[in-house]
Amino acid sequence: MSSVANLSVNGQTYAVAVDSYDTLVDVLRDKLRLTGTKKGCSVGDCGVCTVLIDGRPMNACLMLAADVADRKITTIEGVACEGQMTPLQKSFVHEGGVQCGYCTPGMVLSATALLDRRPNPTSDEIKDALAGNLCRCTGYSGIMRSVSRCENYRDNGTCAKTNHSLGEKQDGRSDYRPSSRAATSVGVPMPRVDAGDKVTGRAIYTDDITLPNMVYGKILGSPIAHGRVKRIDTSKAEALPGVLAVITGKDVPDTQYGVSPARYDEYVLARDKVRHVEDEVAAVAAIDERTAEAALELIEVEYEELPCVLDPYLAAEEDAPQIHDRYERNINTHVAQSFGDVEQGFAESFHVREETFTGNHIYQSPLEPHASIATWDHDGTLVLYSSTQVPHYVQYMMAHVLHIPLGKIRVIRPTVGGGFGGKAETTPLDLCAALFSKKLGRPVKMVYSREEMFHHGRGRHKQHMKFKIGVDRDGIIRSFASEIYLDGGAYSSFGVATAYYAGSVLPTLYRFPAYKYDGYRMMTNKPAAGAMRGHGVPQPRFAFECLLSMVADDLGIDPVEIRRRNAMTSNSMTVNEMDVGSCEFLRTLEAVSEKAKWDQKYNKLPKGKGIGIGCGGFVSGAGYCIYRGQVQLSHEKGRESFQKKSIFPHANAIVKISEDGMAAVLMIGAAEIGQGSDTVLTQMCAESLGIPASRLRIRSEDSDISPLDLGAYSSRVTLMAGHAVSRAGVAIVEKLRPYAAGLLGCDESMVEAHNGLMFARDAEPEGVSVDSVPSNSVAWEEVARKYFNDNGPLVGTGAYKPPDGLGGSYKGATVGTSPAYSFGSAVCEVSVDLETGKVKIDKFTDYHDCGTPINPLAVHGQVEGAVVMGASETVLEDVQFDEKGRILNPNLHGYLTMTIKDAPEIFSGLVDSYEPRGPFGAKEIGEGSTLPVLGAVAHAIANATGVWIKDLPITPEKILNALNAKKRVQEPASA
Amino acid sequence: MYLPTAQLHQATTLAKASKLLQRFGSTARLLAGGTDLLVDLKAKRVSVDHIISINRIADLKGVTLEAESLRIGALVTITELDEEVAVREHYPAIIDATQSMAVRQVRNLATVGGNLASAVPCADLPPVFVALHATALLWSPNGERVLPLEQFFLGARRTARRDDEILTGVGIPKASPAFGAAYVRFGLREGNAIAVAAVAASVQLDGDGAIEDARVVLGAVSPIPKLATNASDALLGSQPTDDLFAKVAELATAEADPITDVRGSAAFRRELVGVLTARALTKAVGRARKEDR
Repeated sequence: MSSVANLSVNGQTYAVAVDSYDTLVDVLRDKLRLTGTKKGCSVGDCGVCTVLIDGRPMNACLMLAADVADRKITTIEGVACEGQMTPLQKSFVHEGGVQCGYCTPGMVLSATALLDRRPNPTSDEIKDALAGNLCRCTGYSGIMRSVSRCENYRDNGTCAKTNHSLGEKQDGRSDYRPSSRAATSVGVPMPRVDAGDKVTGRAIYTDDITLPNMVYGKILGSPIAHGRVKRIDTSKAEALPGVLAVITGKDVPDTQYGVSPARYDEYVLARDKVRHVEDEVAAVAAIDERTAEAALELIEVEYEELPCVLDPYLAAEEDAPQIHDRYERNINTHVAQSFGDVEQGFAESFHVREETFTGNHIYQSPLEPHASIATWDHDGTLVLYSSTQVPHYVQYMMAHVLHIPLGKIRVIRPTVGGGFGGKAETTPLDLCAALFSKKLGRPVKMVYSREEMFHHGRGRHKQHMKFKIGVDRDGIIRSFASEIYLDGGAYSSFGVATAYYAGSVLPTLYRFPAYKYDGYRMMTNKPAAGAMRGHGVPQPRFAFECLLSMVADDLGIDPVEIRRRNAMTSNSMTVNEMDVGSCEFLRTLEAVSEKAKWDQKYNKLPKGKGIGIGCGGFVSGAGYCIYRGQVQLSHEKGRESFQKKSIFPHANAIVKISEDGMAAVLMIGAAEIGQGSDTVLTQMCAESLGIPASRLRIRSEDSDISPLDLGAYSSRVTLMAGHAVSRAGVAIVEKLRPYAAGLLGCDESMVEAHNGLMFARDAEPEGVSVDSVPSNSVAWEEVARKYFNDNGPLVGTGAYKPPDGLGGSYKGATVGTSPAYSFGSAVCEVSVDLETGKVKIDKFTDYHDCGTPINPLAVHGQVEGAVVMGASETVLEDVQFDEKGRILNPNLHGYLTMTIKDAPEIFSGLVDSYEPRGPFGAKEIGEGSTLPVLGAVAHAIANATGVWIKDLPITPEKILNALNAKKRVQEPASA
Repeated sequence: MYLPTAQLHQATTLAKASKLLQRFGSTARLLAGGTDLLVDLKAKRVSVDHIISINRIADLKGVTLEAESLRIGALVTITELDEEVAVREHYPAIIDATQSMAVRQVRNLATVGGNLASAVPCADLPPVFVALHATALLWSPNGERVLPLEQFFLGARRTARRDDEILTGVGIPKASPAFGAAYVRFGLREGNAIAVAAVAASVQLDGDGAIEDARVVLGAVSPIPKLATNASDALLGSQPTDDLFAKVAELATAEADPITDVRGSAAFRRELVGVLTARALTKAVGRARKEDR
C-alpha cells in the first residue's frame, strides 16, 4: 500500500515512499530525518509536533502524509533563514523562552505563524496563538516575553542581514575576551548554552537518535490491578512477521530493583503477580514500533484476579488484600518521629486547631516521553542512551539487575525534555532495551507513549493529612503534630524517602518548639508514586500554610504577620536537627507583601476577588547518597552500616584545556534536563578559570567522558556540582600560576586570572580589548600553552562532598539534611466566578532567597515555571482512577495542565543573600520555588469565596459545592 | 500510537466518494480534517479498512452568502469559519464557538462537516447551529436531502446520514433584524478545554421587544445537542427579564441529561446548565437589541 508522495518541505520537494497509514510526523522524523518535529502525545493535545502547512500551524500527528502532498510544509528546520536565526528565535534565546526545549520547535512555529499575520500582536493574541503548545518548564512567562519583545531582535528587518550566526554565543559569550573589565560569568543573566540548538530544532533527544540496524521494543501491561499471572502464551506474537523476540518474567533476571536499597521490590517483568493496571508482564522487540505494538495484542495472558485496594486507609485494615508479602498490612514505611513535648505544648497553647487535608495524584507530565536505546559493544560494554535525570543511579541499577560492573556500563544522556522527578529512576525501558539488545545483538529503542507514562507513574504521592497546631495568644507556634497517610501505589520507588520528607522539611521554615510526625506510606494497587518537584513536601506544605492562615484569622492576626512572628532565621538548628545556615525568609516576606500591596488588598477586595499568601523552602541537595557505601556492584557489597558522612564525592568535575589554550572543556555528569544546569555550571567554571564563558564547552552527557555526579534531584546541582566545577577551575589556575608569574615577573601568590587574562593582583589591567593584551598582563591562553609545552595535558579536577555529620542520630534523620536551605514567599491573586466556581489565577508575586544567584535569567525561569506548575496542580491536575484501578485520564486532554491562557502574570524577585556553604554564595531554586505556590492559591481562593477547600485539586465543582453548603447553613429556613 | 493498516482513497468528486462509501460500507470512514477520526483510530475506538479522504473535493469548500441563507461547506475549517466576514457580521454566536474551540492547530485542521458528522456530544458547533435553525445538506447520487439539523443527530456519534450520503455542508437562514444568538460554554481550562457544559440560545424579538421565537440548545449534557423545548417555549410571548431567564434556566436544567465523567459530575453539569442558560439568553437578547455584538 506504499505509494510515492511528493512532499514539499522547507522549500524542497521530496519524493517519499509512504504508507496510507503514515502520519506526517512519522514521515518527517523517520524518513526525512527532520527530528525537530517532536512527538509528545500523538493525539493533538500537546502541540510539540506543530508544523506549518501553507503558513498555518497544524498538528503533524493528526495528518496523513499522503493527504498533505503538494501543500507547503514548514518544519522548525526551515525557519532559520540561510543559517541565521530569525529575530523570533533570537528572542527565545535571550528572553528565557527556552528551558527543556521539547515544546520549543512547536512554540516557535506557532509564534512565527502569528507574527507573519500580526507583526505586533496583543498579549491576548499571543496567548490564543500559543494555547495549543503546552510547556511544562517556563510557566510561559519567558515565552510571552520572547514573542512580545521579538521586535527588539529585528535587525534591518530581515534575518539574512543580521550579524548573528547560529553557532555564535550570545551576550556574555559574544566576545572571546569581553572588553569590559567588569565582565564576569557569575551573576549575569546569560542565555542558556543550548538555547540556539533548541530553537532551531538541532537539539537531539533520545527518540531523535537512530542507530544502524536498530529495532524497537514495546511492553505489555496487565489489564487488571491485582492478580497472579497463571500462563502466558507468546506464540502468536512470535509468529507475527517482523517480530524478533518476546520476553516475559521467566526471561528476566531474578533480581529485584527499585530506588531505596532496603526496598527493592520490582522485577523487570512480572514473575508472579501484577500489582497495578499496566504493570509490566511481557515485552516485544520488532523491526519497527508499529509491529511491536501490534504484537502486544497477540500475547495471551491468563490471570487469577485478586481483590484490589486503592485507598491507603483501607489498605491498612486487617482483612485488606496483601499486595506484597513483605509489607505487613501494606505498610511500606512507617515513620514515627517526636521532638520536644508535643502534648505539653498543646496543653499550654492558647488556641489549638485540627484540620484534615487531602492531596491529589499529580503526574510530572514532562513534554518529552521517556525513551531508551540500548546497544552492546563487542567487548561486553552496555551503551545505554536514556532520557534520565540520574545517569549515575541508572548505571548503578543496571549493574545491579544485569550483574555486571558499573565500569562496563556507559550511560549517555541526550538532551532531556523535562523531568521534574519523573525521570529520576531506572525504567523498564532501560532494562528491557538492554535485555533485548543483548539477545538480538542489535540496538533496541523503546519509547513510552503518553498513556504509558501515566501507567509507569512515579508522580507525586497523594497524601492524606491530619494536622494539629497549637499557638499562643500572639500566634507563636507552641506545638505541631501531623499524621500522614501517603498513597504509595504498588511499589516502593522513592517512597521511603518521600515518607520522611513529608515530615522533615516542615520545621525548616517556622520554629516548632515541639513536633510530632507519624507517617504511613501505604501500598495500593496503583502505579507507584515517586519523587516529584519538592519531593514529599508540597502537599504537607500546602496543608500547613492553609492551617497557619486559618489560625491567623481565628486570632485576628494578619496572615503575613503570623508568619513573620514564627519565621526561621539564619544560623539556626531546627527542632529535628536540620542545620539552617543563611536564611533571609523574613526579607522575602517583607518584600512580597510590599510588592503585592498586601495591606491594601487583604480582606479589602470586591466579592469574587481574593489574595493569599504561601511560603516554602527546600533543601539544596540531599546530604546523603541514596545508597550506602562506595561505588561498587551492589552484589559484591556486604550489608553496610550507615556512616554519618559521605563515602565518596557526590559531584566530580574535570576541566581540560585545549592545547592552544583557547578552549576549556568541562566534563561533569550533572544532568541537564531543561533546568539550566549546563549553563550555570559553565558560568561557575569559567569564573573560577578566569576566562569568558564563551571559551568553555560543557560535556555532561556521557559517563565515559564525565566523572560521576549523582544527578538532577533534590535541587543539588547548583550547590554540589557548582563546587566541583569551581574547584576544577581553581586547580587549573594553580597549575598556571608559576608560568604566569614567570611571564609577569611577579610572585606566584600575586597571580590572578580574569576574563582571559592573567595579571598581578595589584596591577589589574586597564583598557582591555579583544585584539590586544595590556602590557601589564599576559594572555591566559599564552600561559596555558607554556604549561602544555612543559607538562603535556592541562587538566584540573574538582570534587564535592557534603559536610560530615549532617543531621541528627534518630531514625530517618538523614532525610531533609542538606548543606543549605532555600526560602520563599508568594502572594497569589485570583478571580472566582461564584456562579460556576471557576478560578482564574490572575497574578503571582514571589520573592525568594536562593542565596546569591549564579544566573538570574535561569533563576527567574525556575520560579516562573514552578509557579505555573504549582498553580496548575492546585486547581487542575488529578490522575483519576475507577474502582478497578484503571486510570480514567491517562492523556493530556483528560489530565489537564495549564496552557498559556491559564498562566498568571508573574513577578519574580530575589532578596540579597549569601550562603557560605554554597559556591559563590548560591543555594537552590528549582524545587523550593514550587513550595509556596499551593498554599498561596488555596488561601487566595478562600479569601475570594469565603470557603476553604482542603482537598486538592480545588476544582470549580468543589468550590460550588462548598458555597452551596454554606448557603444552606446560612439560610436553612428559606430552602 | 500508530494508525492501523487501512487503505487511503483520495476522492476528487462527491460521486466518487459516494461510490467508495457504498462499496466499502461500514469498513470505510470519510476523512476530512482528521482531528476526530485519526484520534479514534489510534485509540482503537474505531476500526476501518478504508479511509476515504474528501479533502480534494472542491465543492465542499467555501462559505457563500445566498439570498435567504448562509451556506457553509463541509470542508470549511474552523479557522476559515472564524475569519469569514459574513459570519463575523451576521452570526456572532458562531464566533463565540469558533473562538473557544480547541486550539489553533486543531482549528486549522478541523472542519465544520467533521464537527457535525462526528456527532460527539461535547462538540461546539452543533448546539450553535441548531439554535440558528440550521439545516444539514446531505448529498447522494439521488440528489440533495435537506434536514433540519436537530433531526440529524440521533445519538452519541450517531447521525441520520445514510451510507451513500455525504454531508456537504449546512445552511443557516438569514438572520432577521431583531434576532440574536449566543453560545456560552464552560471548560475546566482557559485554553484547549473540552466543554463540560454549554448552552446556545437564540431569540427573535417582536416590535414590542417581547420574545417571539426562541431556542435554548444544550451541549455536552446529553448524547445529542439538546433542543430544550420546555425552556424554549417558556420564553415565548414574554419580555426578556432576569427573572424569566432564571425560571427558564431551571427548566433547561431539568431537560439536561448529563453524565458523570473525569470532567465533572452530572449534578455539577446540571448546575452549570442553569447558569449558562441565563448567561446565553442575556447575551442573545443583548445582540437582538443590538446592545452588544
